[in-house]
Amino acid sequence: MLEVSGLTVDYILDQGNVRAVDDVSFTVGRGEFLGIVGESGCGKSTLLFAAAQLLAPPATVAAGTVTFDGTNLVGLTDDQLCAMRWRDMSVVMQSAMNALNPVTSIGAQFKDAMRAHGKFTSEEIAARSAEVLKMVGIDPVHLRSYPHQLSGGMRQRSMIAMAMLFTPDLIIMDEPTSALDVVAQRSLMVQIKELQLEFGFAVIFVTHDMSLISHFSDRLMVMYAGQVAEIGATKKIFDRPLHPYTQGLLEAFPSIRGPRVPLKGIPGNPPDLSRVPAGCRFRPRCPYAIEKCAVIAPDLYPHDGTLVRCLRREDGSLAS
Amino acid sequence: MTDDSPRPQLLRADHLTRHFKIGGALSRRTLHAVDDVSFAIGEREIVALAGESGSGKSTIARMLARVYKPTSGEVFFEGKPLSSMTSRQGRLRYSALVPMVFQDPFSSINPVFRVQHGVLRCLKLHRPSLSAAQRLEEAARVFEVVGLNPNMLQRFPYELSGGQRQRVGFAQALAMRPKLILADEPVSMLDVSIRIGLLNLMAKLRDEEGVSILYITHDIASARYVADRLIVMYAGQIAETGPIEDVLTHPRHPYTQLLLSAVPDPRAPLSVAAETDRGEPPRVIDPTPGCRFRWRCPLAIDTCAQVTPELAELRPAHEAACHVAQTSSEEVKAFT
Amino acid sequence: MAMPVSGVPTETPATQAPDLGSGRTLGRFGRAVRLNRKATVGSVLLLIFILIALFPGVIAHDSPTQDAYTPQLGVSTAHLLGTNHYGQDLFAQLVYGTRNVLIIAFVVGLATTTIAVLIGVAAAYLGGLADSSLNVLTDVLLVIPIFPLLIVIAAYAHGGTTLVLIAAITLTSWSYTARQLRSQALTLRRRDFLEAARVRGERSLYIIVVELIPTMTSLLVASFLTNALYAVLFASSLQFIGLGDPNTVSWGTTLYWAQNNAALQTGQPLWAIAPGACIAVLGAAFALLNYAFDEIGNPALRPVRKVRQRKGTEQRAGK
Repeated sequence: MLEVSGLTVDYILDQGNVRAVDDVSFTVGRGEFLGIVGESGCGKSTLLFAAAQLLAPPATVAAGTVTFDGTNLVGLTDDQLCAMRWRDMSVVMQSAMNALNPVTSIGAQFKDAMRAHGKFTSEEIAARSAEVLKMVGIDPVHLRSYPHQLSGGMRQRSMIAMAMLFTPDLIIMDEPTSALDVVAQRSLMVQIKELQLEFGFAVIFVTHDMSLISHFSDRLMVMYAGQVAEIGATKKIFDRPLHPYTQGLLEAFPSIRGPRVPLKGIPGNPPDLSRVPAGCRFRPRCPYAIEKCAVIAPDLYPHDGTLVRCLRREDGSLAS
Repeated sequence: MTDDSPRPQLLRADHLTRHFKIGGALSRRTLHAVDDVSFAIGEREIVALAGESGSGKSTIARMLARVYKPTSGEVFFEGKPLSSMTSRQGRLRYSALVPMVFQDPFSSINPVFRVQHGVLRCLKLHRPSLSAAQRLEEAARVFEVVGLNPNMLQRFPYELSGGQRQRVGFAQALAMRPKLILADEPVSMLDVSIRIGLLNLMAKLRDEEGVSILYITHDIASARYVADRLIVMYAGQIAETGPIEDVLTHPRHPYTQLLLSAVPDPRAPLSVAAETDRGEPPRVIDPTPGCRFRWRCPLAIDTCAQVTPELAELRPAHEAACHVAQTSSEEVKAFT
Repeated sequence: MAMPVSGVPTETPATQAPDLGSGRTLGRFGRAVRLNRKATVGSVLLLIFILIALFPGVIAHDSPTQDAYTPQLGVSTAHLLGTNHYGQDLFAQLVYGTRNVLIIAFVVGLATTTIAVLIGVAAAYLGGLADSSLNVLTDVLLVIPIFPLLIVIAAYAHGGTTLVLIAAITLTSWSYTARQLRSQALTLRRRDFLEAARVRGERSLYIIVVELIPTMTSLLVASFLTNALYAVLFASSLQFIGLGDPNTVSWGTTLYWAQNNAALQTGQPLWAIAPGACIAVLGAAFALLNYAFDEIGNPALRPVRKVRQRKGTEQRAGK
């Protein structure tokens, strides 16, 4: 349904161009839940914005296509995009506090969204607004509330409700739970999953918290330094992470059960994208790097249903 | 009802309370940010203060840092009450012994100066006997202790990553030779793979530099990784406290159980119990007596709505403020 | 150790570009001025005016006040802009007048910004009663219309000298900037590094002057430029209506004499137009620099460079 192929995004800066997203490809089928995981600077938010055609200068799509239901979104005009925005694909932003207009009520914002994408009567708008709020578990009386009157969890839910106004085929979510506490996070994730199963839309969920998404996503894509490091079925990746970065990430989560063991995290920092090192981008921090990792930049290599960007997986020299 | 820690006591909070007036000038409403909180921190230990937003943990930190004055209650440091520290000298000495590390690595360092600025100022203010050259030496030394290359002293904050900036925060605190560092969510804004490095640093400061740390967080897993004792806060009050392993393996307070069940753990199957709870911590405005968790608690009984529970020891050194837990002989499970 | 690139919007919150100069930052600053077209044009213009003000004798060979020439001459090589009704060389008048204008611009700009900083930032940081009382003072001055007040003051000072002009404009202009700076300081007040300074025991005055104000440099520069610009306009206007000292050599006084002698109607258009054009160009220089500083400080405002898109046919060998 959504096919991203070879997507490359550059930031045009005075000091030179920075390639924030480098040749990323993935697909999302109908009703599928794809998680995109990565840390700061990996390009996941840029990727999301590029896929939703929301990039603003100095960011620009340098190459690649984003095909949604057969149509390439790259290069479409605003009017053409408007026709499919919110009806077929909608976006939930990271911080509801920043994404919701603080001076208008929730109901008014819903009305704006509906009016922007179709002709409806006031009754239809009111009815649909109440309906979507009930879907996310908020009392429709809050249509009259202002964002600051709602708690963080409720604000986030109303963002999701707004994204569901037209029951789109795809909802893109950019770290919708990062500002919430752990109980609210869990509750929201469960809610999203339930809605997804009930209405059958696909979800692309971007997060930096791998453990959060482990129980909810069907497939997982791990990004590092603008590239896809590993992509495959969630369960496979968690049971047997192939890329050393994925391994390191999984091990960086202290658990609350089981023995207390000292952890290492991943030493070092992500590379400076304006001066990308030769060879594998993860090599400076990789505990398994060998000589050729500094010279050859690995491609994505299929390994038992998962794609992984690692030379040592490719030649089988790294035992799992 | 003081928290009994086997180590010599460094800091003791005694019935700390902090209220804020909210609403306009004519309003009579009070926000009870912290209500009747008592605990102690010993030498060479890391105490985790855990809770969600609105639980009062940051307010407690700020009272300990003397940013806020308590509405009532007292803080004793090395046996002396803070309210008796009125001279500038006394206050300076306290801020050196009990410094604070902040949450946001991107706004806790002044972007205009080089990174050494804060450390050098700390040294200038609190160790005036040092010469300028000695100050630079000491700055380099504390940078090394926190794992930063001393040549980073000359850099500007924008050249450092989030993790490195947080280390600078710890270096600033260390430069003053503290006894207790108040760390207000020092890793929440960092990437996951960087957090471990900072947590390891905190453990190292406790073990090698002999510094105690009050680690404020909402992430119980990281608390478990690094802390010796745990204080769980809810709605401005202490819900449960004790040695961390004990509290996490035998949580007595239903809120602690809820928190534990909500923590995402990829190695464990999804816990169903937490689903029904929406995670709406209360804003405590003009509260009535009774347990503040009762609306979310599946085990609430009549007493819970009438009498505010107090901390009582249920296991050795392990206290919880819950009527049901206190009156039941076996372990109660509100949320599995 | 790899360093993050500044300017690339990463997932982490954007850091503020350093505002205060250091060896390294001045270098970056110089480069930024060269690359930004508005900054280059603005600075070149301003530089030209400064040079003219510093060395008027080099550029104009005649004295501005000497009325020895034949009056009402047209443009010629001897008199680049002709002479006026009194036989004074117009070009010399403008050249020598630059000094007066620039002095007024810079002194007012500096004085206004300084007063505004002291009052606005102190009010924001100290809060409470100090804030309220300083606000009352600021608001009262803000509400009074500047130009009528200027006229009253200048008239009361009986045709003031340049100093009176400077004082009057400064006194009436600082309140607007104070308001702006107070707002900015209010948003910065809650930044953790200020709280960190407080917690480590710094005194309030130190925090305001050393920690807070340096982070507001871009706004301070903008205030200086704006106030300098308005000083030029206000001073020239006051001189034009005769409230300056008509005997000083300045663009505004030249306009005054041109108006007095009905220059436009009597076929001496340059007498009126030339000083007006100078005022406009200097004003434009300040305005361009202002925009340029905005863009340098805030990359989101920069004009977008057109990028030729290569549609999907990029083949990168070996990747």
